[in-house]
Amino acid sequence: MNLRILFFIKLLVLAFISSASALVIGSDEEEIYIDANFSGKNLLVFGAFYSDPSQSRDDKSDILIEVVGPSEDVVVRKKESFFGFWLNSKSVGFYDVPGFYYLSSTNEITNEFLNENNIGLLNKKDTQLIDWSALNIDWGNIKNEKDKESFYDALIRTKESEDVYRKVNGEIDIIDGNLFRSYIEIPNTVPVGQYKVNLYLVIDNKISNEYSYNFIVTRVGIEEAIYSFSKNYPLIYGLISLLIAILIGWSGAEVFKRFRKV
Amino acid sequence: MSIYLPIAELSVNIFLLLSLGGVVGFLSGMFGLGGGFLMTPILIFMGIPTNVAVATSANQIVASSISGTIGYWRQGLVDFKMGGVLLIGSFFGSILGVWIFSKLIALGQIDTVISILYFSLLTSIGLIMLIESSQVIRDRVRRKTVKRKIHYHNWAHKLPFKIKFYKSKLYISAIPPIIIGFVIGILSATMGIGGTFILIPAMIYFLGMPTSKVIGTSLFQIIFVTALVTLLHATTTFAVDAVLAFFLIISSVIGAQVGVLAANKLRGEEIRALLAIIVLGVATKIALDLLVEPSEVFNISVIRALF
Repeated sequence: MNLRILFFIKLLVLAFISSASALVIGSDEEEIYIDANFSGKNLLVFGAFYSDPSQSRDDKSDILIEVVGPSEDVVVRKKESFFGFWLNSKSVGFYDVPGFYYLSSTNEITNEFLNENNIGLLNKKDTQLIDWSALNIDWGNIKNEKDKESFYDALIRTKESEDVYRKVNGEIDIIDGNLFRSYIEIPNTVPVGQYKVNLYLVIDNKISNEYSYNFIVTRVGIEEAIYSFSKNYPLIYGLISLLIAILIGWSGAEVFKRFRKV
Repeated sequence: MSIYLPIAELSVNIFLLLSLGGVVGFLSGMFGLGGGFLMTPILIFMGIPTNVAVATSANQIVASSISGTIGYWRQGLVDFKMGGVLLIGSFFGSILGVWIFSKLIALGQIDTVISILYFSLLTSIGLIMLIESSQVIRDRVRRKTVKRKIHYHNWAHKLPFKIKFYKSKLYISAIPPIIIGFVIGILSATMGIGGTFILIPAMIYFLGMPTSKVIGTSLFQIIFVTALVTLLHATTTFAVDAVLAFFLIISSVIGAQVGVLAANKLRGEEIRALLAIIVLGVATKIALDLLVEPSEVFNISVIRALF
């Protein structure tokens, strides 16, 4: 709620400041709690962009919303046939890749624009090879550029099928020419941690203004308590698991002993 | 109604879990098998990660083998000394097994190795059971009595470090039981099984133990092997899912007791043949997963994330 109030104050302030363009955004959540029954959530991101009234807002002014989740290290393995058996063989390690990535725009955005502005995951350029230097990758024994791309594509493809990587356009509502609103789908498979929302106002294929804020995804509930307990106190966790097994096993034998005597 | 499994990190239908535990428990009570050899692959088919399926099965077997041991212990059919000697081997075997297991996870080969191990194991169990039960059924039709021959390989008497096992009326070297225990320990840690179907014939044929004491003694030692395996997995692979284990334990303990009651009333051979077919079916599914070209040849695993 505070964020909303803050947002309207910013909006008011903006109305009195005259600048070429300005951007202000808000969101309905600073923290998302995931519990066992969490089936995904639509995160609301809204805002306003202010342009000089003497300038007409042309069609080339676009809004770009980017959400980047906490980073993780991922190994991509490829199965190959060995004497008829499909076994994992070559592997590539991708380090510090986002565990969640969402890019939304009012209009179709070209890969060239994204590459130029360093937005987003690596994009294929039509003529050039992908510049891998932006990522921290352990290629193992893979040297062929085509193989490299196939591993990278597999990473993106899998993450997309898990709904944690998404690229959409046309899902941002523009109201009154200067206000916008968008619902970002956060599925229940998202990793926990800090998320960064980057918002860009693009005019004439150039970023005219940008704004960022963070939100946090946390897991809560008994399941989360069990999960962190198992990581923080593995020995006690193991002993408790054993104790449960011993108690139930023992009482099972005791309870049914009476039935058997009958 | 589904329940979220915190370590497996997925939701499964609670009734599916309970019936899996119940059916596996029933079969184990009926035939005196541990049931881990069916539990682990079916959990994997349900989408539970291999390491969680293996580690959690071990935890579940602790409960079912305690239940079983108590019954045999009351009838004086547990040779604690033999169980203890077997355990010396199992102790080192399970440590080696968990070490191998975590190496295989790091290499990305755990799924394949587990699949191949299970395929070999299930195919042999399934075939043996099928042949045995069909012979019994055939003999029953011909109204013949079944003769069972037991061969005693007494090479165990010639090795050093001989120990007297009064309960089993044996005076044999400690080396064979330690080796058997060692192998069972490795299998238990890598496959999430108790290993009854290997342990029982090994104890009868290699050690020459009296058949009456074999099941109780093997169950007794399985309690400790699977308990150790559970602890080792909890502390090294972090793969024991307490929620999953809880539901499997509850249902399998009840199922096992019902199975014991049923074993006294039903003729087991037809059910044994059915079980053999189920086992072979599971083996076939595992083989197909290994042999058929997957639709997605790439697979990814997250090796570091915030938690």
